[in-house]
Order: sequence, then C-alpha cells, then structure tokens
Amino acid sequence: MKKFLSLTLLLSGLILVGCSTSSDEQTFDSSQLNRASVEEVEKIVEAFIMAEDGDVIEIPAGFYSFNTQLIIDNKTDITITGQGMEETVLSFRELKAGGEGIKLVGNNITIENLTVEDAPGDGVKAQHTDGMTFRKINVTWTNGDKSKNGTYAIYPVQCKNVMIDGVIASHSRDAGIYVGQSENIIVKNSLAFGNVAGIEIENCDNSEVFDNVARDNAAGILVFNLPGLPKADGKGTKIYNNEIIENNHENFATALSDEPNGNTVTMIPPGSGVVLLAAKEVEIFNNNILRNKTTGVAIASYQITGFPSEAPNWSPYTTDIYVHDNTYERTMDFPDLTRELGQLISVYNAHGKAKTQDIVYDGIFNPDLGADITSNPMRVCITEAGMEEMHFTLFDLSEGEDNIQASPDYTPFQNCQVTVNTQVESLASM
Amino acid sequence: MMKLERKISAYLGLLGLIILGFACGQQEEKTEVKKATAVLEAEEADGKYPYKRLSTYGFFEGEITDLAAGENVVLYKPASSLFTDYAWKSRFVYFPEGEVAQINNEEEIDFPEGSVIIKNFYYPVDFRDPEKGKRIIETRLMINGEEGWEAWPYIWNDEQTDAVLKVVGGSTEVSFTNAAGEEQLIDYIVPNKNQCKSCHNKSEIMAPIGVKVKHLNNELDYGSQTKNQLAFWSEQGYLNGFKGLEAHPAMINYETESLPLDDRAMAYLDINCSHCHSAEGPASTSGLFLTHDQKDPMKLGINKTPVAAGNGAGSFTFDIYPGHGDESIMTHRMNSTEVGVAMPEIGRTTIHKEGVQLIRDWINSMESE
Repeated sequence: MKKFLSLTLLLSGLILVGCSTSSDEQTFDSSQLNRASVEEVEKIVEAFIMAEDGDVIEIPAGFYSFNTQLIIDNKTDITITGQGMEETVLSFRELKAGGEGIKLVGNNITIENLTVEDAPGDGVKAQHTDGMTFRKINVTWTNGDKSKNGTYAIYPVQCKNVMIDGVIASHSRDAGIYVGQSENIIVKNSLAFGNVAGIEIENCDNSEVFDNVARDNAAGILVFNLPGLPKADGKGTKIYNNEIIENNHENFATALSDEPNGNTVTMIPPGSGVVLLAAKEVEIFNNNILRNKTTGVAIASYQITGFPSEAPNWSPYTTDIYVHDNTYERTMDFPDLTRELGQLISVYNAHGKAKTQDIVYDGIFNPDLGADITSNPMRVCITEAGMEEMHFTLFDLSEGEDNIQASPDYTPFQNCQVTVNTQVESLASM
Repeated sequence: MMKLERKISAYLGLLGLIILGFACGQQEEKTEVKKATAVLEAEEADGKYPYKRLSTYGFFEGEITDLAAGENVVLYKPASSLFTDYAWKSRFVYFPEGEVAQINNEEEIDFPEGSVIIKNFYYPVDFRDPEKGKRIIETRLMINGEEGWEAWPYIWNDEQTDAVLKVVGGSTEVSFTNAAGEEQLIDYIVPNKNQCKSCHNKSEIMAPIGVKVKHLNNELDYGSQTKNQLAFWSEQGYLNGFKGLEAHPAMINYETESLPLDDRAMAYLDINCSHCHSAEGPASTSGLFLTHDQKDPMKLGINKTPVAAGNGAGSFTFDIYPGHGDESIMTHRMNSTEVGVAMPEIGRTTIHKEGVQLIRDWINSMESE
C-alpha cells in the first residue's frame, strides 16, 4: 500500500491522544535465584552436547548464565526438564554467537518446566523434529529497552507433530509463539503477552490453537502464508476458545522512528485481534475478542503488503475462512495510525473515522474465481450473533489508493459455512 | 531462641568462611597441578577416537607447532575460504593406512572410514611477516567414524605444546598486526561441539564443507611442487575417480580480482553462506539459497522479503535490493557483529570488510528497477 499521507496529516492530532501501550511486565523476578557456578553451567552444556537417545537432562534449580548455545543434535526421545518456570532459569544474555539460545533437532523431544531469558536471536528453536513438545516453559526478555529483544520466543520450524502446552511467551520482537513450515500442531493453555505478535501460525498444515490467552501484544493471533519458502503454502487452522484481549501494544518490531522493513510483522497495526494474511482454510470460533482498538479480526490477502506476490505453489489470496460464534467488544480508543493498514482502517472504514472495527475484509479476490466480491469468490463465511450491531467493513481497493471504497454490507458472507479439517488426532498422546 | 540461633549461625558462618578460605587455597593448588598433569600425562594411541590430546593422533611430524604433514596426512586448501575472523588456516586430511577416497557423481568425495579432516586456526603475530611467529588457537577435527562424520574441537594451550579436547568450546582474546600494519584485538570464539553442526549440516547429517571436488579441483603449492590437488591425491594413492580438471566442476577464488564480479560474488556466497543457505541446510527455512549455481532471482534474495530475520532486517525490505548495496539485508547482516543480526550466525566476531565490499559492489552492479 502506498501512503495515506494526506489523511494521516488530517488525523495527526489523533496520534497524540491515541497512543499504543507498552508492557514490561515480568512473570517473576529471576534475579532472586541462586546463580549456578561456572562448573554447573558447563555441566549443562556438556549434557546437551553428549546427549544420547533416551536421555533425560535434568536441570536443577538456579539461574544459569550461558555464553554458548545449548544444542540437541539429532537425537531421539530426549527430555529436558527443569524444576519449574520460577526455579530453573537459563539466561542467554551473555551469548557471544549463535542464532538462538536453545536449538533442538531430532525425534520425540520434550522441553519443560523452565524459563529461558534474553537470547539475542530466538529463545528456543526446534527444527526438523518429529514429535516436539514445549510444556510449561516461559520464554522472555528482561531488557527495559524492547528494541534489544529477540525475534521469536518459542520457534518450531520444519517440524511434525508439535505440542505447545502451558507455555508463557513474552516481549518478542516478532511472535511469542511462532510455528513455521510445520505439520500437525496444537497450541493450548498458553499465554502470550507483550510481543509484537502473540501467536503466529505460518505456512503450516493442520493447526489447532485453543484455550490460550493472547493479550497486550500488538496483534493477538496471526495466520500467515508467506511466499518463496520450501513449504510453499499452508492450510487448515482452527482458532477457538481463546481470550484475545487488548492487543494494543505498540509495534516495536522496528524502532519507533523507523518505517516498517521487509518483515511482514512490522506492518501489522497495533490493536489487531486476529489477522489472516494469504491464509487458507481457517475457522475462528468461540473466542472472546475484546477491546482490540483497531480491529477484532482482519481478513487480508498478501497483495495488501505491497510486496511482490508471485511465488511457485503459493497463492497470495486468503480463502475458505469461517468466522463464527465469537464474542466481540469494541473500545473507545482510536484505532492505530502508525501503520498504513491501521490508517486504512481508521480513515476508510464504513462506520466512521477513528472507529474500532470488529471485522474487516480487504475484499481482494482472484478475478478468475468470480466477477464480483458480492458473489463471495474466496469463500469467506461470517456467522456472528448481532451482526447488524457490529462494525464490519468490506474494503474495495481495486480502484487504487485515490479511490478507496468501503461498505458495511456483510450479507454476501452470510449463510455459508466452510469445513476446516485439522487432523491433529496424532497429537492426543503428546 | 532467636538469639541463640543467630549466634550459632554466625559461628557456623565464620567456620564456613575459614573452611571456604582454606578450601579455595587448596583447590587452586589442585587445579594447577591438574593442569600441569593434563599436559604432561601421556595418552595411549589406542585407536579409540576421540583422543583427549591432539598430539596423540600423531598427525604432524617434527615440532607440533610447525603443523607439518606427517605420514598419510595431506595438505589441502579450498579455492575460496570461509571467513573466520581473519584467522589463517592450515588444513589436512589424514587417510588410514592403505585406504583410498572415491569421487562419486564427479562432485562428491567419499572418504574411507577412519579418515580425519584436520583444520588448524592460527594468527601470525604480524600478518606482513609470518616468519615472526604465530599463535595457534584451535584445531578442529572431523572424524569419519562408524556412524559417519563427527566433529571435535581442540583448544591449544598457552605454551603451544599441545591442544586439548574441549567439547564445550571457549573464547580467547587474540592480538595481531594485520596486513595494513594495524594492531588488532579479537574476541575469538571456539564453537562448542554441537555448534559445528550449525554449518556442517546436510539434512541434519554431519557433512564436510571444504573437501568437495569443486573446491579442490585447482592447483596448490606443496613446497616441492605445484599441482592440481585432486591429481596430487590420486598420484599419492589417496584418491580414485579423478578424471582431470575439465571433467569435474571447479570453483574460483573470490579474491582473484581479475575474474568477473558476478563469479567472485557467487564464489564468496557459496563458501561463506551456502552450507546453511541451501535446500539441505539449516537455513532452508528462509527460502534464501546461496549456492554458486543459483539462477532463481528470488532464491538468491533479489527483491525477496525476509521471513524470520527479526532485528537482522535492519531498516531494509529486501535481502538484495538491486543497485542498492547499502540498502540490502544481505550486506547489513554481513556488516554487523551484533548477535542476532550478524551473518553467518557463528564463526566470526569481526566484520569481513573485503567480503562486505565485494557483495556491496556486486549488488550495486545489478540493474535497479
């Protein structure tokens, strides 16, 4: 999207009063813990390095400061267990090299009952792992200045059968819980706060995200498909029974003075509950989507980013979406004006300038599939109670930025359903 | 009660301090002794790898610090080098007695079980005059065992009499005078054993990087003669299947300024990045594939947005923004030493200025839209 500059100027007064929040909330204070000795720290590093199939690596209570990475290198049936989130803390503040604090590769790996702090890149990354469980771990950054924080707190990528249960992820400069290019995923009973994005499912198949709390992030829950990746596209996500509340944190993915960069998340407007981008087969139901100041749900195609949107085996369109039986609560706060997508919503929505929206749809569709958005060519189905009272906006961006149209008419998207299959039964035993 | 307890604990505390003081003194003494024995104690070369000490392998003849190839040990050097904080490297392969490596598919070398790749990292005191002496920091071994390749890092002692296996890695300050005569101080990091796999990784299987046909299909000065490395190996009876220079792929040295800029840049990216940034490497997640033969502009990063770059993206949009060498994520990450931003992720704590310049020139030479 090009800039909505003139309107930004008109509304610049609003920016001053419509500021985003910032959170430095910590779940507990790790500085009270006993510090592990150099020998105790080295013993843990060695336990990871020399791990053999079937090992349980038990980490006693204490605060461990590492200057090197902890890596499990292609092992099977490994359990890494601490004495509890508030008892065993692994800090990577002193890490001198490496993309993440902990890296896990293999089969049937569990990491549980501990905290990971201040990794310069990602907190805990798992790659090429079949059977990956993150349970009751807390991954966070304790820097006052959040621009120094790392990218993802919990980061399984190219994995199969991923269970994320009872974790806390906070203050990531991108997504707290990020699952990428993976298959068969459950994210449940978890808390994500103070991140740019709370929970993100990207280029994944078969995901269920339920019974989580995503609060005080810039955006609560994201389902994206990005172009040009080895796992080219993803489909099948259910998001249900979540509390998606007050995701009005500033977007600190880039420095506040800087423009968004090439990371898509830098464009996300603060105040977003659920954001779908080039998403396929997503069902969003029974969630409490409350007081997100820009929009509760955003349904968007990749073209809206303005980035090149051609890639093999990938489609930029968001298709087969079913949004139903959620509870919404709008806020009196002003929607975001710091991001172009926020400006689009604030200025051009169908319910009046600076009004929070419940659901927005960018209306971008594949002309091969229908002549008109009113025929619902991308199969976007919305069945919410009290639709007539809600702030729904359908945009029409087809005439370019000088002639943006918006309509409150939700009827083309009513009276239809989409069946989403997620096939996560294999995770029942994890 | 309270008072008594306090008294007791105060007493115990005092006692503790005394014991602690005593214990510390003793422990220090012990550690020193232990250190000395570790150096002196002989280790038997029983064939059960890895040995604790580098010297036990007997790879080098004469003074160990001369790093001179011993029996069944042959020098090699890839056409282009991976940048490691300006460290100099000497590299060898040890072949078990009577065993021979085999070239497969004209490109890959299959090494016999028991082969060891030996890579020494050192700094001349003065880069302008290497005869003034050097400090060897570490020696990395890759041993081709029963279950495939495995990496073992050895750290040299201050006396430079031997190197000791240290799986957890380490770090050390290194000072030297560089080629321009400038005093340099580097925080050199020896990777831990499992970090080796961050680069030596082909579909999660440990794999050598430099000892491929394309990197060795070129001439090397052996002192007594200069010869194509693969021809030399064949002549020495270490290699089968070499059909001559033209029959196999051959990389160039990116430092050769007379060669085309495109080729030099691709050679640089191949040796420095492609071990991770390939379909079989750990950075396959990014969709950025930097092998020397990459032809797909998007996979090469041209007008490609990042995926999980986080802070690494800086204020830039594309990995390569044609015509804008200083506004591309690739150069931005090469030009940083910040953990989380810097690429490669391990193996350097300084910036490779010449490398950044090469890639910057290359991107600047691309036609901008």
